[in-house]
Amino acid sequence: MKTVLNMNRRGFLKMAGAVAAIGTAGALSVPRTSEAGEGKIATLIDLTRCNGCTDRATPACVSACKKIKAGRLPEPVDPIPLPFPTRKIEDWSKKKDVSNRLTPYNLIYIQKADVDIGGDKKTVFIPRRCMHCDNPACATLCPFAANHKFENGAVVIDPDVCFGGAKCKTVCPWEIPQRQSGIGVYLKVLPTFMGNGVMVKCDLCSDLLKGGKPPACIEVCPQKAMTIGPRKEIYAKAEALAMKIGGYLYGKRENGGTSTLYVSPVPFDRLDAAIRKGPGEPALGAVKRQMAGTDTMGKAVLAAPAIGIAAGVAGAFALVSKRKDRIKKEG
Amino acid sequence: MSISIDEGKNRIVRHGSLELAEHWALALSGLALLLSGLFELPVAARYKIIAIPGLAWSGDFIASLTIHYAASVVFIVAAFFHLFYHGLLNDRGLIPQKGDLKASIAVIKTFFGRGEEPPFDKYLPEQRLAYFGMAAIFAIIIITGLIKTYKNVYAPDLSYTLVFWSTWLHNIFFVFFILAFVGHIGAIILKPNRPMVRGILTGAVRLDYARHRHPLWLSGADTGTSAPPASAADTAALVETDAVVVEVSLVGESGGSSVSPGGDATGTVETNKEKQR
Repeated sequence: MKTVLNMNRRGFLKMAGAVAAIGTAGALSVPRTSEAGEGKIATLIDLTRCNGCTDRATPACVSACKKIKAGRLPEPVDPIPLPFPTRKIEDWSKKKDVSNRLTPYNLIYIQKADVDIGGDKKTVFIPRRCMHCDNPACATLCPFAANHKFENGAVVIDPDVCFGGAKCKTVCPWEIPQRQSGIGVYLKVLPTFMGNGVMVKCDLCSDLLKGGKPPACIEVCPQKAMTIGPRKEIYAKAEALAMKIGGYLYGKRENGGTSTLYVSPVPFDRLDAAIRKGPGEPALGAVKRQMAGTDTMGKAVLAAPAIGIAAGVAGAFALVSKRKDRIKKEG
Repeated sequence: MSISIDEGKNRIVRHGSLELAEHWALALSGLALLLSGLFELPVAARYKIIAIPGLAWSGDFIASLTIHYAASVVFIVAAFFHLFYHGLLNDRGLIPQKGDLKASIAVIKTFFGRGEEPPFDKYLPEQRLAYFGMAAIFAIIIITGLIKTYKNVYAPDLSYTLVFWSTWLHNIFFVFFILAFVGHIGAIILKPNRPMVRGILTGAVRLDYARHRHPLWLSGADTGTSAPPASAADTAALVETDAVVVEVSLVGESGGSSVSPGGDATGTVETNKEKQR
């Protein structure tokens, strides 16, 4: 109180202004080096090389992924609790061999696109899995922090924390995460009323990456169609390749940018029109980052403490000043 | 702040317009935060809340996040304003005092017919404790919410440990927030507390109620032994003690014969209650 009384009006307003300015500047600046790509990795998927492993029963990348992830998920409880009120479960545990779409047991698959470019018929094979977006809503909006983007760029779901509510799938523009009901922590809480299993997707073989090894799908590709490395290098390589073949990039701007860059000799809208799409079969169209529309309001939230402090300090000063004036007038 | 009494209307001002604005900014934005926060869980589509007229947005996580952010701006500005404004003015009326816990238990017992209420200051001891509890809940929710927002806007790859604990503390204190809200509403439903409802809606409460239940507020004494007279006949239009500043409005008073300082209808005297909100 004494401090307030002893401070002159200009000093007080300066202080309030400074608090607001510092807070607002802090909220609006982007000081993180990781945003610039340092320490991050990315993957280049060269569609001129991928041949879909048509000579094999199952593409090499798909087999390697299945093999390394086998046994990762526990067997679901029997019977699987029916969620109220939908009574809908998703059980892929009896269909683990499915390899022509994404499932909780099949985290990568090959899409096939037959296109006709000016009379030139082409078949393009497209390995599909999580894009590991730069600002993934699936992770940032997870209400239990079960899904997180790590500094290296990998977006990973922790099966021990996930409740299987499928919010990540809803907010993913490609609806990549797939649900296995009857497993996970929700069984120990309120299995009928809350959650419905565990969401599963590619984790970029984070365990292998920690050990300095590439993801299984990349390592086994006989065509060397996939390359992983430092983000800046991969981006430069992808852009150079696209330039060289007069091709197209996908994943650089989609959903605000991703850690996966596809290079194709065929425009992606043509591929999107040619591929089969549906549950577990993601599209290849242009995708805007949905959360971009909330960023401005988010910045306002970050500036709110400074605004509140400035208003509080200014208001207290104004009241004290008014009281002092009154005392002066009253002699 | 001086105490404003209107004898004619049997009214005493309990909250100024600024305090009412602070309370309702926090209360209404807090309710919007509770609702939009709830819809950040994947419940709206599952439980068909989206089918309720006016709640179609509840199944859209981006829409509910936008509402959550907008309400957060109001909530955080109001909370920080409250903290700094009243902190700098040294308003201590709602700060818990020694013995509040014991006194609160005694007061709660009186709600069940056991014992008699002691004379109160402007705020009841359990109100001071509840204020402290609410402030702690707000602080945790605001801090963790700011971390989560920073993560959403700038740093999705923020430390997982920080994100994990921020998220879970936000969720746990979200539940405490709901419980505190239910407790708050429950407290004002209790019959002895009902006269205070008018105070938070209009700013003023009944003067006879204040004299009967909050004599320490009116007397300015640190410890009270008995309440001032509750009947209108026993009270003059202007209540002035050496400890209290009262500003009396005689507008509308039936008797019209009361005396006020300086011969005016209203008057103000400095008191040691000035700091109490």
